[in-house]
Amino acid sequence: MKFGRSWLPAHIFAWLYMVLLVVPLYYLLVSAFKTNDQIFGSPFSLPTSLSTANFTESFSSAHLGPAILNSMLVTVLALALTLVLAIPAAFAIARAEGRLGALVERVFSLGFLIPTFAALFPTFLLAAATGLFHTRAFMVLFLPATAMPLSVVILVQFMRTIPREMEEAARMDGASTFAVLRHVYTPMCMPGIATILLLNFLTFWNEYLYSLVIIGPDPDLRTVQVALPTLKSLTGTDYGILTAGTVLTLVPVWVVYTVLQKRMQQALVSGAVKM
Amino acid sequence: MTMLSSAPGGASVRGPVTPPPSALTTKRRTQGGVILAVPALVWYLVFMVGPLVAIFVIAALHWPGMLQPVSFAGTGNISAVLDDPVFWDAVRNTAVQLAVAVPLMIIGAYMLGYYVAQKPPGHRVLRYLLFIPGLISTPAKAMVFYAVLSPDGLLNGALDKAGLGSLTDAWLASPSTALGSLILLDVWSGIGFTAVLFAARLGSVPDEIGEAAQLDGAGHWRAMWRIHFPVIRDFVGVVTMLQFLWTLFGSAQNVLLLTQGGPGSSSTTLSFLVYQKAFIAADLGYSQTVGVALFLVGLAGLLTIRRVFRQNY
Repeated sequence: MKFGRSWLPAHIFAWLYMVLLVVPLYYLLVSAFKTNDQIFGSPFSLPTSLSTANFTESFSSAHLGPAILNSMLVTVLALALTLVLAIPAAFAIARAEGRLGALVERVFSLGFLIPTFAALFPTFLLAAATGLFHTRAFMVLFLPATAMPLSVVILVQFMRTIPREMEEAARMDGASTFAVLRHVYTPMCMPGIATILLLNFLTFWNEYLYSLVIIGPDPDLRTVQVALPTLKSLTGTDYGILTAGTVLTLVPVWVVYTVLQKRMQQALVSGAVKM
Repeated sequence: MTMLSSAPGGASVRGPVTPPPSALTTKRRTQGGVILAVPALVWYLVFMVGPLVAIFVIAALHWPGMLQPVSFAGTGNISAVLDDPVFWDAVRNTAVQLAVAVPLMIIGAYMLGYYVAQKPPGHRVLRYLLFIPGLISTPAKAMVFYAVLSPDGLLNGALDKAGLGSLTDAWLASPSTALGSLILLDVWSGIGFTAVLFAARLGSVPDEIGEAAQLDGAGHWRAMWRIHFPVIRDFVGVVTMLQFLWTLFGSAQNVLLLTQGGPGSSSTTLSFLVYQKAFIAADLGYSQTVGVALFLVGLAGLLTIRRVFRQNY
């Protein structure tokens, strides 16, 4: 028997951690539908009604509507720019034969060692110097740079698996370098593109500190991650509204995760493996 | 892992199928090629490398606020930082945080990942749930913890109900528990996500290795640490480096959201000190000097972890 009695401590350990993991999340979810009295009186009971009052209240008091739109705008544009920059770069590195290509690849892979958080203040200066302080545009330009090392390295590995004959056949038909990139390499490394899209979707959507400092607290511009913590001070200790707001910000990520669970786990695992 | 098998070979390994290219195509490739990498490279140098270099420059400046005159300070900031007791508190807190959180996370996650990789009953549910902390943003996690640990939050409520009312505390606002709460948050969210990484890597270890160990009569404990661990030792090293970096640099966000470094400086970490001196105290030279220290700690940690996980090679 593979899972005999000697496995009992392991089962207990694993499911105990699971309980510790799930209880706060369950508490978060059910509290979103309750009033403060109900939360304190019976924290674990299922909500008596599926009232959306807390959601609408958190939505309006923290201006979550524009914040969600801002987050989507920044995330989508930054993802597009990441692809526009990373695909040609990976294409160049994967095909390069000389020392230059190897050098460029090395520069990108060293980027894993650069801790993004460390350079917050100089990045803020850069935003101020370019006149893009307190704009979403700077985040759209900045986020792809942080994603560049991982995205390029993952794409290069996908592109290296594409047989050279594919390109030579296209060349025979008179295809230019750009046409080879567009019609041969890009379609063939779609799984790699999906991987970096998913990985970067998570990081961009969840980004907090840079958005806080650079976009700032203006309710018309700020992203959802910046808007969320303001609920804590706005509502004082109304946990129903606070938890409802938190749940709202999790919905997009949770939907993507549930639909693409396998793929997303693979993406994050490969992200770690490539470092 | 299909993902791992669909992109074979590391960055340095070329597939053996590649035919030697003719001189003509080689020339054309390098010409059309490397130029396409220039935009990405420029982006990366401007937004990542530039600011990193700037940390070292600003660390040598006396700059008491954004609109104040700037002057050269030489090593003045270094002595100011070293003479500041708050800096040493931050060093101590960061050391405690790293020494407790990283080993707990890695050892716990390795054991949990090994368990999941053996496909016990319910392993699919486990995998799905374990991954959730990896999806939730830092502010959302902090809000969950705030709801649990605040004076009238879930934990105190539960303690009251259980008749342990004397144990209740203002967990995030008490000098003795503030740092512990932050470490708990790191470990709580770190174990699950890291365990999924380990489970995925262990899943690609050939089954024969485990079977051979069982035939030899090795117990599970032995199989886990003596047989599987050496196989994925490199990978454990990489994940440890990542968790080390995330804990070291990322703690600024949790501290900012939950304790603001207080009470006093009891939960101020190095990375929060960088943030606080730059954006709250407006002592920019000081802030970036701590930034340099943080960077060096990160580098030293990376090299040490690399050495530890390679020593048998």
